Amino acid sequence: MTTRHRLTIGTLAAIAAVLLLQSATPRGATVKFYSDDPLQREPDSQDASQVKKWELDLLWDLGENLFANPGARTPIVKARDVNTIDEVPDSSWFTNRIGVDKLTTADVIRGPLTGEGPAPGTWSVTRPKETGFAPGFTMNDAKGQTWFVSFDANGFPEAATGAILVANKIFWALGYWQVENYLVHITPGELTIADTALVKVSSGQRRKMKFSDLQEVLRRAQKSPDGTYRAVAGKLIPGRDLGGFRYFDTRPDDPNDIVPHQDRRVLRALRVFGAWTNLVDMKAGNTHDTLITENGKSVVRHYLQDVGSTFGTGANALREYDEGWEYLFEGELTLKRLMTFGFFLQPWQTVRYDEHPAIGRFEGVEFDPTEWKPRVPTAAFIRARADDNFWAARRVMAFSDDMIRAIASTGQYHDEAAAKVLADVLIQRRDKIGQAYLTAINPVVNLTLDSGDTLRFENAAHLATEPASGYVVRWATFDNTTGDSTPIGTAVTTTDRQVKAPAGLPSQPGAIVKVQVAADDPGHPSWATPVDAYFRRGATGWMLVGLERMPVQ
Amino acid sequence: MRSRARGFTVCFAVCVLVCVPAWVKAQETRADEIAAQQARKAAELKPYQPGTAERWVTKTHRNLIELPSGVYPYFGSVYSGGGFTLGAGYRDYYGDRTHVDLKGLYSIENYKLIEVSTDSWGQSHGRLDLHGRFGWRDATQVAFYGIGNETPAERSAFRMKQGYFGGDLALRPGKYSMFGAGVMYEDFTMESGSGSDPSIEEVHTPETAPGLGVNPKYMHSWVSAGIDSRPAAGYARRGGLYEVRYLNYADQDHTYTFDRVEGEVVQHIPILRETWVISLHGLVKTTLDDNDNVPYFLMPALGSGRTLRAYPSWRFRDRQSLLMSGEFRWIPNRLGLDMALFYDTGKVAHQWDDLSFRGLKSDVGIGVRFHTPLATPLRIEVAKGSEGFNLVFSANAAF
Repeated sequence: MTTRHRLTIGTLAAIAAVLLLQSATPRGATVKFYSDDPLQREPDSQDASQVKKWELDLLWDLGENLFANPGARTPIVKARDVNTIDEVPDSSWFTNRIGVDKLTTADVIRGPLTGEGPAPGTWSVTRPKETGFAPGFTMNDAKGQTWFVSFDANGFPEAATGAILVANKIFWALGYWQVENYLVHITPGELTIADTALVKVSSGQRRKMKFSDLQEVLRRAQKSPDGTYRAVAGKLIPGRDLGGFRYFDTRPDDPNDIVPHQDRRVLRALRVFGAWTNLVDMKAGNTHDTLITENGKSVVRHYLQDVGSTFGTGANALREYDEGWEYLFEGELTLKRLMTFGFFLQPWQTVRYDEHPAIGRFEGVEFDPTEWKPRVPTAAFIRARADDNFWAARRVMAFSDDMIRAIASTGQYHDEAAAKVLADVLIQRRDKIGQAYLTAINPVVNLTLDSGDTLRFENAAHLATEPASGYVVRWATFDNTTGDSTPIGTAVTTTDRQVKAPAGLPSQPGAIVKVQVAADDPGHPSWATPVDAYFRRGATGWMLVGLERMPVQ
Repeated sequence: MRSRARGFTVCFAVCVLVCVPAWVKAQETRADEIAAQQARKAAELKPYQPGTAERWVTKTHRNLIELPSGVYPYFGSVYSGGGFTLGAGYRDYYGDRTHVDLKGLYSIENYKLIEVSTDSWGQSHGRLDLHGRFGWRDATQVAFYGIGNETPAERSAFRMKQGYFGGDLALRPGKYSMFGAGVMYEDFTMESGSGSDPSIEEVHTPETAPGLGVNPKYMHSWVSAGIDSRPAAGYARRGGLYEVRYLNYADQDHTYTFDRVEGEVVQHIPILRETWVISLHGLVKTTLDDNDNVPYFLMPALGSGRTLRAYPSWRFRDRQSLLMSGEFRWIPNRLGLDMALFYDTGKVAHQWDDLSFRGLKSDVGIGVRFHTPLATPLRIEVAKGSEGFNLVFSANAAF
């Protein structure tokens, strides 16, 4: 054999060996569960310092969402911001709090607040509020901290400020990034106007702010009997202002924003959270993106900034009767009303409201969470699936009666009856949400497999209805690379939500078992669709690494 | 040796070519997988570019809502009966809420208007509006059917050129109370009507058309007082207007001087949370002194999209007028669509005593209105009266 031939054969052998080695190397992309599953935090791996501020026109945003149905051209898929156990990891959008952390009532009524509000002393107004209907202005406190001050509209004492304070705590507990809002009582004589203060006038130009401009703001605000003005002071959100976020698609200049917003569970869940609190004004203008530095890297943080459009009042008046019941435009309803001279009646036209002046038109008797609607449907709202609603409903149900009453009291209403009305309705609506969404699909939750191979779980629907009469559990080994399941034993039926695994569970570290749990309840046929749970054996026992509540879809 | 070395080199290159992409592509963790997707997006970042429609809506919204300085489209009417009208204006601010405007309108009936005005809104804590204007109007074929309530439907036409200069103010001292006052110098030049109808002087004489042939110059002044609880004059489903106006037309030759008093009532009665609205309107105009001379073209008139809607503009003229309208409105969509069944009735009369409920002219109709919270930019109605059908297109509320 010549040298040339030896070389060729050797080379080919080496190539073959490399190819063989390469084919034998497990590709990360092929496994169902990675070593770090379930992910506890959604990473922001890229520097986002190049993101630019955008101005989203209110009318375009309204029209696009109302008529064009953006983000709906792709199929409705499982939420893409969830981890493998169907939970939403912490992220620049969301922080797990109620239902996950052991939040106390004290935690919740403190909410996002980290301090005591504007520093006492001279408060210097820097410009009047330029967006929205509520009267307000921006000011710097005695320490130079910037605050956005928002008043109750004239004729509606405590309505707007109370709603902001209460909703602020609720949405913080639910996990959204929130502004720090503090109740303040402003004495006009203690305000000064900053030398640099500018006001935008009708021409669109800006000029130096005058005291008459401040008077103009206060003229539209509700004055208290003692001459002060009750207001909410919202602390300036840290970071560079980037404008709001849309409820569909992604920001094209944010490298970390890879999940279309309509497929984010945290935004889909506003279908449930919005229904609970009557958050009818879901628009980009009520959101806020900010560029912050985190771990030495610029990333975008997404705030649900303005949650004051909740309960039964708006920024400057009671809610319209149809708000929460209909979109601003619905073609079919419009046509039916047109053809019937208005006699095609809807529930909002006859529902009874206990109109407390500070709470407005907010009720829980006729409320149906599945029928609730914001003014304008967002793509995320439309695409919410049963598992998204289930996830959200569990968080709503995690608010106890006492917690809700404590949160309502943070509205600091002069009339205690206002807080009571608000809490009563929130409790009514919470319970209806539980009945509607916790029972809609298989409600098996909190699955654990202990080191003694005993499976335990709970039924989330027990908060809203009778528990299932029995559960059917099937076991299998699971091949993480191929995705194949191999049954172990036969199906086991249990009634007490715990069952011993059959013999033959794999014992080697890293092995995965698949457990399917179906609930047997004649009143809820959808519960027969099993929840698929995956446990991986670790050094100390079994760990839940996967959960699919709607595995077929 | 060289061959062996070359073999190793080839092997190494193959290893690199085959394995490196695999290492790069493979993610061992979920975090790696997400990071890889983010890295791919980072390589193709682009700034947000609004589409043509979004840019257009944003610009239009800003121009219509914020009223910035610059050129803007102007929708209005030169004079009743002028037909479809388009226009444009240029606005320039010289105060916070004070601007000067130059605007023009042109209609398909060749009506023309050009006006320079200055407007100052919301002075005195939002209670006072001030306006000054200087302009010229040319209505080429204004209808004239004669004087009285029983004139035949035989139309003639006249041309009215009007130069004007003056100002007015509107004061709202309380939540609902309102007062107004104004003075305007008005120079009328009356000419033969254009168009297919006979000109007024071919059909009428000064006896049948008082003031025919004269070109009066007026100092026109007025005051008004009222209560207005409507959310907006341009569109309302609740509230009402109760207003009295006094007008003086002082002819510079003292021949055609006259005084007029007008009373207007509007009341919107919502039913079942504004599912339906009963809207009522009453308007009476009376010339105070029976001995005053009122030229034909300044007499109160009925007929048009805001009075007797089945009748053409200026169908009935005389020294007094009475109008009553009632609407049954239903609201297919609160954002912007109203429907209405309506009934109008009214008459004109020579003397106040003749302004009775006998001999009223009436019509019925149905209408659709596209509105905003504050205005009714499009109202389309079909009305049927004793002289047939009339189709109304209007950019204003009926009342």
